[in-house]
Amino acid sequence: MFNPLRPDGGSGSTERLRVLADEELMQLVYRSSADAFEVIYDRHADAAFSLAYRMCAQRALAEDVVQESFLSLWRSRARYDRGRGSVRTWVLGIVHNRAIDALRRRTVRDKGIVNDEGLEERVAAPERTELDVARREEAREIRHALDELPGEQSKVIELAYFGGMTHVQIASMLDTPVGTIKGRMRLGLAKMRMALGDPTEMVQ
Amino acid sequence: MNVEDSPMDPGLCGENAAPYVLGALTEEEHEAFCGHLDSCAVCREEVAALQVVASVLPAIAPQRSAPGQLKRNVMASVREDARREEELGHHMTAATRTRTRFARRSQLAWPSWRPLLAAGALATVVAVVAIAIASGGGGASTRVIRAEATPRGADASLHVSDGRAQLDVSGMPQTPPQRVYEVWVKRSGAPQPTDALFTVTAHGDATVGVPGSVRGVKVIMVTSEPLGGSKAPTTSPVIIARL
Repeated sequence: MFNPLRPDGGSGSTERLRVLADEELMQLVYRSSADAFEVIYDRHADAAFSLAYRMCAQRALAEDVVQESFLSLWRSRARYDRGRGSVRTWVLGIVHNRAIDALRRRTVRDKGIVNDEGLEERVAAPERTELDVARREEAREIRHALDELPGEQSKVIELAYFGGMTHVQIASMLDTPVGTIKGRMRLGLAKMRMALGDPTEMVQ
Repeated sequence: MNVEDSPMDPGLCGENAAPYVLGALTEEEHEAFCGHLDSCAVCREEVAALQVVASVLPAIAPQRSAPGQLKRNVMASVREDARREEELGHHMTAATRTRTRFARRSQLAWPSWRPLLAAGALATVVAVVAIAIASGGGGASTRVIRAEATPRGADASLHVSDGRAQLDVSGMPQTPPQRVYEVWVKRSGAPQPTDALFTVTAHGDATVGVPGSVRGVKVIMVTSEPLGGSKAPTTSPVIIARL
């Protein structure tokens, strides 16, 4: 008999779970279903790895970040609050924070490591489902909204979000007052929100 | 007026909302802003408005496939955890509390904190040894702090480098079902929770990164908490590292 709470879940249990929505899966994850967590992993691991790789620019470091993030997600699963956003948002938020921590934890010696971004062929996940197609279309919209910003605004957003830099570091790098950097961040995000309509409606 | 030429008054609410949602505040600013959010509806509203944009930014990262080995590593640990819980015949209870946070560190007030060194809390040898170890020519150094750990036979050390810390433990007892170890940081006042929740291997080993900067941190400690962590420590510390 199919029992998603069994560690092995029974034959084919993971496949049966794939029809469930993330929020339904999280109810099983909350009750320690590793099979349900595996489905969550499968759905969001590529996005998590893509974000981590974009930020860390090192495959090994990105893998560490993603592994650490998912184990943290599993062990803190009771903290998931659907009222605060989707499972995907929760997952990627933790990956983002872990990647920032990893970037800022790197020592001076570590920073000498050559980034392997660009050295390896990007392996884009194939568009397998309508959801994948919708996500890619939305990604293009988000990219367009960012590109439409004045360069000084898009730059500070990218340096902060993907570069893991503090506003103080960005201000120093650009030789610009910190208040101006904060203002650019705020203006840029506000403009993107207007351009994207209601981002909460996105399938991300 | 060109807003670009007129930076916001630092005294105005909302100026830190954008760097906050982008993860661009310094650790100290982050802590202060989280506290500010508790009492400022204006900033909470600003954060909510900007957060929805920040939350879709990951979509523009070039998409890649996660390595297969990564899944095997993650799921091996997850299934080991689940199997251990199953073997012990317990089920998660409502005692596990959900902690809501704005981000990495809690924005909630911490109601109370029992004295760290409650009588009898630690029946262990206390050895605080700070050793400076050259990091190999990179200019940064790693300070190794031996922590107080309980029970006897357990060992814990904190490796601090460039404001970041990693905790290595060995010989620690496995946590009971539905419980995990939780890492806390204490600057002044009550200890603050972190996202670092962990269990140990069959040999009692674990390595866990302490989230965020440890600059200004006086004590890092570990307690046993319900699965999912706690808002405030509910048991006496089993590991204490004094920075």
